[in-house]
Amino acid sequence: MTAMLRALCLLSILVLVPLAPAPGQAATPEQGAAFVKDLADRALEALGKFKNLSKADRETRFREVMHTGFDIPTIGRFVVGPTWRKASEAERARYLELFERYIVQTYAARLAEYDDEKIAVAAARADDGDVVVASQILRKSGPPVKIDWRLREAKAGGLRVIDVVIEGISMAVSQRSEFASVIQQGGGEMAPLIKLLGEKTGG
Amino acid sequence: MRQYEEANDPLEPMNRAIFAFNQVADRYVIKPVAEAYVELPQGLRDSIRNFLRNLKTPIILANDLLQGEGRRAGETLTRFLVNSTAGVLGLFDVAAANGVPYHDEDFGQTLAVWGVGEGPYLVLPILGPSNFRDTAGMAADWLADPVRDWAEDHDKSWANWTRTGLRAIDLRAELLETLDKLERTSLDYYAALRSMTRQRRDAEIRNGARDQPGAMPKIEIEDDDDPPPQRK
Repeated sequence: MTAMLRALCLLSILVLVPLAPAPGQAATPEQGAAFVKDLADRALEALGKFKNLSKADRETRFREVMHTGFDIPTIGRFVVGPTWRKASEAERARYLELFERYIVQTYAARLAEYDDEKIAVAAARADDGDVVVASQILRKSGPPVKIDWRLREAKAGGLRVIDVVIEGISMAVSQRSEFASVIQQGGGEMAPLIKLLGEKTGG
Repeated sequence: MRQYEEANDPLEPMNRAIFAFNQVADRYVIKPVAEAYVELPQGLRDSIRNFLRNLKTPIILANDLLQGEGRRAGETLTRFLVNSTAGVLGLFDVAAANGVPYHDEDFGQTLAVWGVGEGPYLVLPILGPSNFRDTAGMAADWLADPVRDWAEDHDKSWANWTRTGLRAIDLRAELLETLDKLERTSLDYYAALRSMTRQRRDAEIRNGARDQPGAMPKIEIEDDDDPPPQRK
């Protein structure tokens, strides 16, 4: 009896799994590659071309690029980890609002090193329903910098970046680990994290 | 929990204390020296780095071989022969200019390739973030280094101190901007550095390969549609 049930389960998994990632909707690696190329060009342009603009103006431009290219709520949701479940509706909203400011600030600072540089997209592949795009920043001196992008179809539709991996260091994983440490020191609650994010972003 | 998320830091209180000490040492000694160092002409700094890398050849070559990386061992040997001659005792990286770029190796990476786990995270005084495996690897490399051995046998300990000091300054100088930014933007600098050094280390162990398992973390979100808990 149990053996038959098990066989049935297995069978249903085998039948259902290939259907799970809605066929036809998933983005192709080619689309992913084109998306990253366009996005990175615009981001580097925002960081580099407008060097004479004030820091605030450049950040505004960079924020626009991030909004069209990144799924910020999904990243925010990932980096806060399981603590999300404990947070109230108001805390979640406040957190996402502050996280958006924080991620723009952080990514702008950390990617600013690569202004005035060129990006070359090397390869793109499908990965569990995501598209992973490998690229290189070609520098005027020194070896190229490897940057990998993880793209996912956003709930609202359209491809969005959910992680950037620079020379093997994932921004999302680093932030999640960092946030986990803040949450743990704050007694496992969301409130201390929100407070610290507010201080960091001046909001 | 996914492997990459474990902090693996049972000694955190001690590590944080050493980290705090390192930050003070960095602020008042190491960083100012590195900032003065970058004022030197780029060409001079490049040559110092090339020379130091060339001196490390025996260690890199041995670890290439211990990891069974024949092609990389060949590259290391080629680089040494070319740079020590055409590159004037290693001051110029002629090999890199001709398509044989530098790569680093150490015994910590070799141990990892052999399947030794990293062990708990460890912040070493002055030397910074490490773990049990890499600390052991560092000690082994130091003991096995024929260049260091030769200098000591010939009453040239000063050369070893100079070499160690220059390596530290060269590394710190390279990270000036990166670490400043990280410290400024992070919510918990210690935790950020812990996660990043570990990920970076994993990438080094993979020799930068991007298609191996773990090279690209999955971004999995648990219980996305859970409603918030009811509270008064």
